[in-house]
Amino acid sequence: MKKDTTNYNYVFLFYDIADEFSDVGKYRVAKVFKICKKYLKHHQKSIFRGSVTAANQIKLIDELKKVIDKELDFITIIKVLNSGSFSESTIGIKDKDSESIFI
Amino acid sequence: MAKNHTRYIFSMGELKRKDNSIAFSNEKGNFYIPIEDTRELYCLNEVSFNTKFLDFISRAGITLHLFNYHGNYSGTFYPKDALISGDLTIKQAYAYMQSRHEVAKNIVLAISKNIYETVYHYYRHDKKELKPYLDWLKSDVPKFLQKDISIEQIMFIEGQVWSRFYDSFKHFLPEDFVMNKRVKRPPDNPINALVSFGNTLLYTKTISQIYNTHLNQSISFLHSPREGRFSLSLDLSEAFKPIVVFKTIFDLVGRKQLQVTKHFDKSLNYALLNEEGKKIFIDAFETRINETFMHPRLKRKVSYKHCIKLDGYKLIKHILEDREFTPFSLKEKM
Repeated sequence: MKKDTTNYNYVFLFYDIADEFSDVGKYRVAKVFKICKKYLKHHQKSIFRGSVTAANQIKLIDELKKVIDKELDFITIIKVLNSGSFSESTIGIKDKDSESIFI
Repeated sequence: MAKNHTRYIFSMGELKRKDNSIAFSNEKGNFYIPIEDTRELYCLNEVSFNTKFLDFISRAGITLHLFNYHGNYSGTFYPKDALISGDLTIKQAYAYMQSRHEVAKNIVLAISKNIYETVYHYYRHDKKELKPYLDWLKSDVPKFLQKDISIEQIMFIEGQVWSRFYDSFKHFLPEDFVMNKRVKRPPDNPINALVSFGNTLLYTKTISQIYNTHLNQSISFLHSPREGRFSLSLDLSEAFKPIVVFKTIFDLVGRKQLQVTKHFDKSLNYALLNEEGKKIFIDAFETRINETFMHPRLKRKVSYKHCIKLDGYKLIKHILEDREFTPFSLKEKM
């Protein structure tokens, strides 16, 4: 297959960390959270999103690879071209808007 | 939405370093600000932070702009200067001695050209009363500036350009927003409040952009460098005022998105934007300054914000290589 050379500038990141079975798992959740919030905006409990450069995406993925347990944990990153290339609808409470430029 | 690296803090709380990122915390809990995706922070409310936080954002190269209760600019926390060039500073000072008039004249010329483009839009839409002002900008101002005149006379022409510009508002803005007289510190009516707030925002944006060049912030050409502030930023922001600040104001006021009764503080005679008004204004301001267009020479898309930095580079070229400094022109888009 041909290598994907598209420039993706906006990502959604979902993680499932196996934290029910051991204390080690709990530490891993905290570590993954810590890394993600450096690069992305916290959207829902285990979901991050935000615009991020290609170079920072590589850095983010490398950092994540170092802390997760590849046998147990599961992280998905959905990449889109930019924040204009999808539409979004929300149901229920939305008490903070992570994308807003105002805090 | 274009890429946005700025956050405006409107609520009270504490900024702190949490792990390797920034957290803004108050009674509502933590709000995480990604460090890698932030270049500027604006504090428009009571915000506390400690040296640990300042050290951290300094290392990440983030500038922190502080404002007081009235929305007046109080200062900038500026990371340790990484781009220092003694050579350029000396030559910048030398250029000030040698070619101050030339640079100042070009800045005033750029202001008048950009105002012309901005006002011409209204002339084309049947506001024929603007004709004398437009003619004056097009023919008289360049003529005045060609003469051998002193810096005070250049500044006087600049003052005239602006005051006639404010005077022309009565032809195309709704009555609530007509400007009788430009009043600063503190502004005393809605339009003056908008102009002051907009200019302040642009001024801080320019400081952040100059920070990314080797230029010395305190040696300016049009403004007298003795004023106790980063006066080069005042110089470089001038050409962008009509494009960024005034176009934003005209748009918001013309479309009735900002209204005197709704978005200004009544208790202060409508002379101060309230919080909602500020948010509407900042939102429009950010959209405009991040708006991109094709740069004819660079052959790629750039934003107005980036063009401020490019103007800084042009000034460096003037200082080091004696190329003519022509500030950004709305017509030529470069």
